[in-house]
Amino acid sequence: MNSLPSPLYRTEQIRQLEQLATEQFAIPAAQLMERAGHAAFEVLRKRWPWCRRIAVVCGSGNNGGDGYVVARLARQAGLSVKVAAVGDLHKMTAEAAAAWQRAHSAGIEITPFHASLLAGAEVVVDALLGTGLSGPVGEYHLAAIDAINGTGCPVLALDVPSGIDADTGAARGAAVNATLTLTFVGMKQGLVTGDALEHCGIVEVATLGIPVEAYQDVTPAAHPFDFETFKQLLRPRRRNSHKGAFGHLLVVGGDHGMLGAAQLTARAAGRCGAGLVSLATRAAHATMVSAVAPEVMAHGIESANELSSLLERANVVAVGPGLGQGGWGRELFGRLTESPLPMVIDADGLNLLAQDHFRRHNWVLTPHPGEAARLLNCNTGDIVADRFAACAAIAAKYGGVCVLKGAGTLVQEGVSTPMICTGGNPGMASGGMGDLLTGIIGALIAQGFSVSEAAKLGVAMHAAAGDTAARQGGERGMLASDLLPRLRILANPELTK
Amino acid sequence: MMALEQFLPDGMATERLGTLLARCSTPGAVIFLYGDLGAGKTTLVRGFLHGMGHQGAVKSPTYTLVEPYDLQGHRVYHFDLYRLGAPEELEYLGIRDYFDGISVALVEWPQRGSGMLPTADLEIHLEYRDEGRNATLVPLTPRADTLLDCLAQHQNS
Repeated sequence: MNSLPSPLYRTEQIRQLEQLATEQFAIPAAQLMERAGHAAFEVLRKRWPWCRRIAVVCGSGNNGGDGYVVARLARQAGLSVKVAAVGDLHKMTAEAAAAWQRAHSAGIEITPFHASLLAGAEVVVDALLGTGLSGPVGEYHLAAIDAINGTGCPVLALDVPSGIDADTGAARGAAVNATLTLTFVGMKQGLVTGDALEHCGIVEVATLGIPVEAYQDVTPAAHPFDFETFKQLLRPRRRNSHKGAFGHLLVVGGDHGMLGAAQLTARAAGRCGAGLVSLATRAAHATMVSAVAPEVMAHGIESANELSSLLERANVVAVGPGLGQGGWGRELFGRLTESPLPMVIDADGLNLLAQDHFRRHNWVLTPHPGEAARLLNCNTGDIVADRFAACAAIAAKYGGVCVLKGAGTLVQEGVSTPMICTGGNPGMASGGMGDLLTGIIGALIAQGFSVSEAAKLGVAMHAAAGDTAARQGGERGMLASDLLPRLRILANPELTK
Repeated sequence: MMALEQFLPDGMATERLGTLLARCSTPGAVIFLYGDLGAGKTTLVRGFLHGMGHQGAVKSPTYTLVEPYDLQGHRVYHFDLYRLGAPEELEYLGIRDYFDGISVALVEWPQRGSGMLPTADLEIHLEYRDEGRNATLVPLTPRADTLLDCLAQHQNS
């Protein structure tokens, strides 16, 4: 879709919207179902205009009801239609039963599910499980999901791919691999993160003619964003500028054997426009930094006292990449937490914070799920199971802005509506990528952006740089340093207008 | 001229509106169709093409974005820009050549090609309304005024 990204909703909010549609705008539930079927059939025709034979797999809930409408419309349009029903027909909702009745009256054969029913279909419509899913997928549904995934033909999922939790994006044991997911009423927050990214295919939204007024009454759960959303914050520089106007970032890291990470942070900061970048590292590393990145001002320090004069000159600190959790890192981190400067904390900085946690309003924490688990004292599995909740919990516990990295990076400040980045790609799951992000966000704060703006803009730039690198050279083998020249281009959006 | 509003209780009514529009349209007419997924845009186009004498099926021109029809000496282009990635892609299609002042153009999802399309004579907005659809026809040029006059006469007779 090339329109503005739509806001994201939780299942309970979708229910609220449906209820508003019914009660205030006089659109009965049965009519919403009918419209969902029409929208889905139109998408099916547009996406697969050559298709003559479809199979529709219907569950007994309202998702199945949508499927019965699609089956009826397809039959009316002259397609060959097979319907496989899973679950107890007697337990159907009233609307779904009515849709079943109309499909049945239209002469469509509705058979209890068997994998052989899918043979010969050119497109499978997945109307098995929708947003009502709670708990793991049951045995019969599991078999149907396996059969759908085994056909190898295109799959149109109605509302959500069956098995995907619409709130968290987690697969409940198994999930349909859709080619296209047409989601109804509003975009579900779970469709843009976690396992869902692997299962949804292309996601499109059909609002079913629910008036915009209804949407104004419901606050979305999250707002998606990408580089386009925030790039206008990067204005061209004034002609009479000097380096002091663009801030001074102090990067602290590079214990023995860990210089690379801190160096990537410093270099990314330079490419994103920080006026000055200092790197406080082990004394033995200082000359090496000068050789590789002469623009970075390297300072060899062995004790926390030596940080004081550096902190006086900086206006923001980035700490964590290559810090280590040894005595050196621990001592420096302790000193930094006494400074009032805004801070970006990543990697071992987060691991140290988790052991000695306190709150600050002017910092950005950038955990990956493993670090997030340590910050919340739980398992990585708990984080992955509900990334939205995890990000909110970290922001609440530690203050400031939390950036929870991963597929669908989340940004949350306090109790505000979370933002989710729709950019990025699996090529970015490689060493050093996180170190760059720390430097990018630090450089943006140095230039005067608030911690909140810097976090969102930084995440967007990082993802966009990764996406450009993937387009040009593929995902495999992408190196963090490949992103550096691209970051510079992104930091100057007036170039690419 | 004022916009014309019509309630279309079912798909047949939508198709009939399309057929009447075909009878009233003149060469070179450019018609934009707006509406949610499933609102009946393609149904209306089907009626239009049948009204121009087309016999066979009307298939969605999604892959090619445009489907040409030669009907009784008239050329009609059916555009569906739903899957257009960016308006600039229309440049590769040689979009300007299609709007030659003689052929009739029906454009679904014109908002996806914004900036690259000529202005429309007539905009048709289809919305869900109860069990059926509501059509609003907005004339933007004298050509469309004439078209809507003709439509009103046909519907009253």
